[in-house]
Amino acid sequence: MTDPLLKIENVVVDFKTVTGTVNAVRGVSYEVARGKTLAVVGESGSGKSVTARAIMSMLAENARVSQDSKIWFDGEDISSFSELQMQKIRGNRISMIFQEPLTSLNPIYTVGDQVAEIIQIHRPMPKKDAQAEVLRLFKEVQLPDPEARLGQYPHEMSGGQRQRVMIAMALANKPDLLIADEPTTALDVTVQAEILTLLKDLQKSHNMAVILITHDLTVVEKTSDDVVVMRYGEVVERGATRDVFSNPQHPYTKHLLASEPKGRPGPLDPNAPVLMEAKDMRVAFTLAYGGIFSRKKTDLVAVNNLDVTLRKGETLGIVGESGSGKTTLGMSMIRLQDANGGKILFDGKDISTLSRKELRPMRTRMQVVFQDPFSSLNPRMIIRQIIEEGLIVNGIGENAAEREEMVAKALEDVQMPRDAMQRFPHEFSGGQRQRLAIARAIVLKPEFILLDEPTSALDLSIQAQIIDLLRDLREKHDLTYMFISHDLKVVKALCHNVIVMQHGNVVEAGPTAQVLETPQTEYTQRLVNAAFNVTAA
Amino acid sequence: MTDINLNAEAVSAGANLSYWQLVRRRFMRNKYGMVGLIGCLFIIITAVFSGFIAPYGPETKDRTAIYSPPQTIRFFAPEGGLTRPYVMGFTEEMDMNTFEITFVPDETQVHPLALFVKGDPWTFLGMTFETRLIGTTDGSFVHFLGTDSLGRDVLSRMILGTRITLLMGFLVMVAACFIGTIVGVASGYFGGRFDMIVQRIVEFVKSFPDLPLYLALVAILPRRAEPMSIFIMFAAILVLLRWADLSRELRGKVISIRSMEYVRSAVAVGASDNRIIARHIVPNTSSHIIVWATYQLPEVILLESFLSFLGVGVQAPMVSWGSMLNQVRDFQSFAAAPWLMAPVGMIVISVLAFNAFGDGLRDAMDPYSND
Repeated sequence: MTDPLLKIENVVVDFKTVTGTVNAVRGVSYEVARGKTLAVVGESGSGKSVTARAIMSMLAENARVSQDSKIWFDGEDISSFSELQMQKIRGNRISMIFQEPLTSLNPIYTVGDQVAEIIQIHRPMPKKDAQAEVLRLFKEVQLPDPEARLGQYPHEMSGGQRQRVMIAMALANKPDLLIADEPTTALDVTVQAEILTLLKDLQKSHNMAVILITHDLTVVEKTSDDVVVMRYGEVVERGATRDVFSNPQHPYTKHLLASEPKGRPGPLDPNAPVLMEAKDMRVAFTLAYGGIFSRKKTDLVAVNNLDVTLRKGETLGIVGESGSGKTTLGMSMIRLQDANGGKILFDGKDISTLSRKELRPMRTRMQVVFQDPFSSLNPRMIIRQIIEEGLIVNGIGENAAEREEMVAKALEDVQMPRDAMQRFPHEFSGGQRQRLAIARAIVLKPEFILLDEPTSALDLSIQAQIIDLLRDLREKHDLTYMFISHDLKVVKALCHNVIVMQHGNVVEAGPTAQVLETPQTEYTQRLVNAAFNVTAA
Repeated sequence: MTDINLNAEAVSAGANLSYWQLVRRRFMRNKYGMVGLIGCLFIIITAVFSGFIAPYGPETKDRTAIYSPPQTIRFFAPEGGLTRPYVMGFTEEMDMNTFEITFVPDETQVHPLALFVKGDPWTFLGMTFETRLIGTTDGSFVHFLGTDSLGRDVLSRMILGTRITLLMGFLVMVAACFIGTIVGVASGYFGGRFDMIVQRIVEFVKSFPDLPLYLALVAILPRRAEPMSIFIMFAAILVLLRWADLSRELRGKVISIRSMEYVRSAVAVGASDNRIIARHIVPNTSSHIIVWATYQLPEVILLESFLSFLGVGVQAPMVSWGSMLNQVRDFQSFAAAPWLMAPVGMIVISVLAFNAFGDGLRDAMDPYSND
């Protein structure tokens, strides 16, 4: 056993807030050796990112690190280092990759200059040499057309390319330790696999120690040597990845491992009548570009003449990478987005030409649940007001008491306590908020619900519970779902039929089992691979 | 049901505090903001109870004391020893070389001070009172901040002037907020051509050179009108040029709120535009509006003082801080009676207090603050 490169002992981090002190990290210890990967797993709020930031001493101003915390890096206790000493280490010997590649790059500098800056800060050299070094790095992280990328700005690149630039930046000074904080969460599934493979290769060639912070267990299983499971700021289980996955000890770890979405959708009556039908749907956005005198317009076709049919009780999955037009299709089918052409029949009635006012009676029959549970509930309203709103505007319920009873029933349906009614959205976690958003939809007793990536902003263990909930509700209330997602695991557990979309077109469609098991096109294959075997790419 | 048990603990940290409770706690922690709040309350109370606090009425003239300097409160008797507070009268002496009149405290004229003395009647909410906060027991005049060219008490006028100055401030602030909010929210929410036209109007209003326009607009006010109607028109002119900023800021904010998912889900349940604006959009811009308003108040106070100082703002017999300063606009009167500058102190205090309060509020309402 070699000496660990980084060893942290009893790290305690508190945040002073108005509502009192929050103990974010309560005595966490772990270590990682050169050439090894340590995965830190836990749900959001478990303190895994805060611990990593404490190592870099990059905590928010109201954070206090306890005196007893020891952070040994290469034999030195860096927790007692001054800010000046830390600056020499940060970006040089320890680097960090952040979750969101769009916001962690400065939009007004070219990526070449940004990476060169990091090199020049720690290793003074002429600009020309630095540029050459950047080019070498870009080749190393397999950025396509590395020469052309030097002069590009972050917005000219895709998410995956930006994350490669971030990795190049982190590797610029050949760090001994790389901390990757959810490096793939914000990326498309197919890109995710490529980035992880790249990280793995680079680790081998540089003999780095890597701390990989993530909530995705598939990633952990495929990429890490050791794993630390965190919950409420404490380590609940640690060990070699293989051992932990094959024989988890702590009930929480067992719960996490059991939380992969499972099960199959209930049977679908083959003779069920058609509930909703979209024919020849077309949505295009007009983009204007060029100067004032040479204005040009181009149509970006988001949905290209698609036909969609949903039968009563069916769950239809729409999958594809971001930008494939799946959300646009869904939103235009319930008329939250204007379409440029096509016909939408709901229960035999053409709703594509109705005005907003004429649509109002139809609104209770088709509802929507959005992706981000944090922006879908008005922060200034209590839960009761939020759920009740649909009842009030549609004149459902005789009086306040009757409406309150309906709200309570909806809360019960989504397994939330009745006293949630008097509380504000910020008091709930992401999963609970998503339940409340579902309650807002089902309180109107709709027949059709559009689910726009309802689980992708949630932690894995909570995802599975939401999927179970949706499945139960479908049976209980005889609902029809249109489920938009990029995660095939979830789609497999919930959908009868699936449509695979790319660039506004249908690539493949059919029963879920058939599409996922025998994908016909290369694109679908890539999606399936990314979802079920991370490192296959 | 396992998730509820698993989540219950994590959620308890920030439980059961509404947004406004949170804001209040954060604000109370900010010392600078609290000092500002106390300053603001002090000024507002002064304005409301100015009749009681001011020793005399605004037009009460002490003909024996023209340009009399401030009288100091003394606690030690001339013959030595602690005594009840008193002030001394002045005897006028003329320097025979320069013909300068100087006021010398006269030990023979001792006027003891007392709280809650009987003085000139004042009215509050239609009721008339005669008790004043402070005065002399023998009914003679006392001028803590001296007198002006007509023998009027500077302290009393300054305290009474708080009323007009603040009234102007609040009037302009409330009206500008009202117009700015309506225009800004409508422009941001409805967008399209309406937004285009409204924003061009805003730009047009904002492109006026402020000061010459104020002067020109004030100049066309009818001179012989009632002071009150001039006051209202003066306020209207200020409002005319002040709403544009808020409406532009709100427009941007509303555009970002409009695309929030909670607004889209309100559309999905069939809510009307009016309901969405009233229940979802405006409440979520309220912190911005409130902070803007607290910053606006000191600006209006400064502008009003400045214009009144130039003689084009508040007209006599109304008293405001600016119109009091109007009396010292030439150098001689400033040199002879520097105490007439006292309202400057009040202006500085009130501007600082409202700004400090606004800063504190902004920090407390900052949605990105994580502490």
